[in-house]
Amino acid sequence: MLEVLHSLLFSTLDAAPALVFAALGAMLSERAGVVSVGVEGMMRTGAFCAAVAALVMPTPLAVLVGMVAGAGLAAVHGFLSIRWRSDQVVSGMALNLVAMAGGTFLLESLFGPNGTPAITQLSRWNVPALAHVPLLGALVGHAAPTYLALTLPFAFHLLLSRTPLGLRLRAVGDKPHAVATLGLSVSGLRWAAVLGGGLMAGLGGAVLSTAVLDRFEQHTPAGLGFMALAAMVFGRWTPLGAFAAALFFAFGNALRIGLASSAPWLLELVPQGFLLALPYLLTLLVLALQGQRGHAPAALGTPYEQESR
Amino acid sequence: MSPRRRIVSLVLCLLAASTGCKKEQPAATPPASDARPSSDKPTVGLVLGLGGRGDHAFNDSALRGLELWAAGVKYEKGGYQQASSSERRSSLEPDLTARAQELDPLGITPVVLQSRVAEDYEPNLQLLAEQQVSLAMGVGFMLENAVEQVARRNPKLPFLLVDSPLLDAQGRALSLPNVRTVIFREEEGCFLAGALAGLVTKTGRVGMVGGMRIPLVQRYEAGFRAGVAATNPKATVLVNYTGSFTDFALGKQVGQDLLLKNTDVLFAAAGVDGLGAIQAVKEAREAGRSVYVIGVDSDPSHLAPQAVLSAVLKRVDLVVYEAIRDQRQGRLQGGNLSLGLREGGIALAPVRLDFPGRQDALRTVDALRARIISGELKVPLP
Repeated sequence: MLEVLHSLLFSTLDAAPALVFAALGAMLSERAGVVSVGVEGMMRTGAFCAAVAALVMPTPLAVLVGMVAGAGLAAVHGFLSIRWRSDQVVSGMALNLVAMAGGTFLLESLFGPNGTPAITQLSRWNVPALAHVPLLGALVGHAAPTYLALTLPFAFHLLLSRTPLGLRLRAVGDKPHAVATLGLSVSGLRWAAVLGGGLMAGLGGAVLSTAVLDRFEQHTPAGLGFMALAAMVFGRWTPLGAFAAALFFAFGNALRIGLASSAPWLLELVPQGFLLALPYLLTLLVLALQGQRGHAPAALGTPYEQESR
Repeated sequence: MSPRRRIVSLVLCLLAASTGCKKEQPAATPPASDARPSSDKPTVGLVLGLGGRGDHAFNDSALRGLELWAAGVKYEKGGYQQASSSERRSSLEPDLTARAQELDPLGITPVVLQSRVAEDYEPNLQLLAEQQVSLAMGVGFMLENAVEQVARRNPKLPFLLVDSPLLDAQGRALSLPNVRTVIFREEEGCFLAGALAGLVTKTGRVGMVGGMRIPLVQRYEAGFRAGVAATNPKATVLVNYTGSFTDFALGKQVGQDLLLKNTDVLFAAAGVDGLGAIQAVKEAREAGRSVYVIGVDSDPSHLAPQAVLSAVLKRVDLVVYEAIRDQRQGRLQGGNLSLGLREGGIALAPVRLDFPGRQDALRTVDALRARIISGELKVPLP
């Protein structure tokens, strides 16, 4: 039993970071009123650039490069949706498509289709003395992103709920005109949120190619960006909610994986398809239980125009 | 054009460009270092499955047969370059080196179409027919329906379908005069992989990471289980399916789970997900555990030289090459072929790692292989 819990915990902690970062990034952008469908593309960009950068520099620095690359793609989104007030969903989807095809094109023209050469992985915090202690051992053996993912959501929570900047970011997503009447720059705040969201999404992608794998694999991130959006919605556009939802998704996966190998007899009783759908069934259940109040920022997806009312 | 319509058409363009067929190499572009105009050569078309180029497995194997062996070119930096004969020779694994002289270039030009989603299969195949290729090939059982549809529509064009027979609506096998189908007896190779795993394990627990739980992968499981039971009847086999073929993060999660449950040999039969499982084993080795992984389809040992014990090779490359050769020689006929260890369609990659008792283990595996080839040993099906 302990063995099962141990592997559940380990698996959740190891798989969650990319999802947590991407969900936080999407949340930041959307709290400021800019729809962030492009997370998938930003993750892919971050994953690719981090892997390429890690070929020539230490991996931790390469992760920063991946973050900046994610922000670079977010800047295009910001330019289209804030400066030119275009449809934010269309802009985000277009960026996803560009990143999808562009990533494959660059990969094939720079390295060939089999992925980038292997890079040095982010080192793992191995504590041999602890590794075999039940449960406690599941907390060690992870790379730095895992521990960052466990703390960053609280930092975001403090930022949004306890600082003037956080108040302004939230206000700009709900009532941008009110923010403007205070003499603050609506577009400046939205730019900050979109770029910050890009940094986080880029970090999520970079984690995939520097901690989960040790190279850029051409399918990255394989839909994880959309899972992050789901986690954000599920978490009601709050940092801690998105964090909990991301952990919940990772746990759901870990649970069905753990069940299948620890209790093979279960597969005789329950069809495999049911286990595969388990994370989503749990999601539906929780959504049904938490009621139907809307939590989306009021001005989400609406480009700011000074003259509009 | 109103702004809205402009946006709609822009989106449509993007969609068409990205989700539609992605043509990797137009037939009309001659390879840079090839003096002869390639348009003189007959073209052979290949529609890839979803894993696509770079999956280190099924699709890459088909591409090797088509591009490197049949056309004598390699795909590099977004285009075809002439491949040297030493490159061609080094691509032959030990089970094929004896046949090297048989695998000469056939003077064809490849046309490769990537499929982004399953809905691309049929239009991609139809596109090949309209491009008037001399042979159209689809790799992967998921193309079965598309190949059948397009083959009925183009009765003069020969087709090759790898990994599945043609099936009618009730799931019964049928045959068309212009379609060669090839299936593999993977269970024979998986049996040897299981036998090897049973001999190598120290913990008495071995694991298998499967992709989608489909009849094909269940055949892998049945063969693997039987192989383990043959050499190590007391060993426990833990089997876990990821439910996908394109998500390495999921494959890694499944691999880690099995390793935490004290398995020390993993059989990774899950496409791209398998790459994640290999990564999990690699990291466990780096953390000091003595664990191994066995791959499928093509040998992944370059990804983790210290961790990859062997691989069940599926000679899709050979099947593709032979279909092109037969077509060139006018001998390509419809019907279904079944290939296993005996025909060389399935093979176990050479074991490069050293482990205690290696000599004896390899001898046992060789003996089992001989018994399967002679028909004395029947590998069970699920």
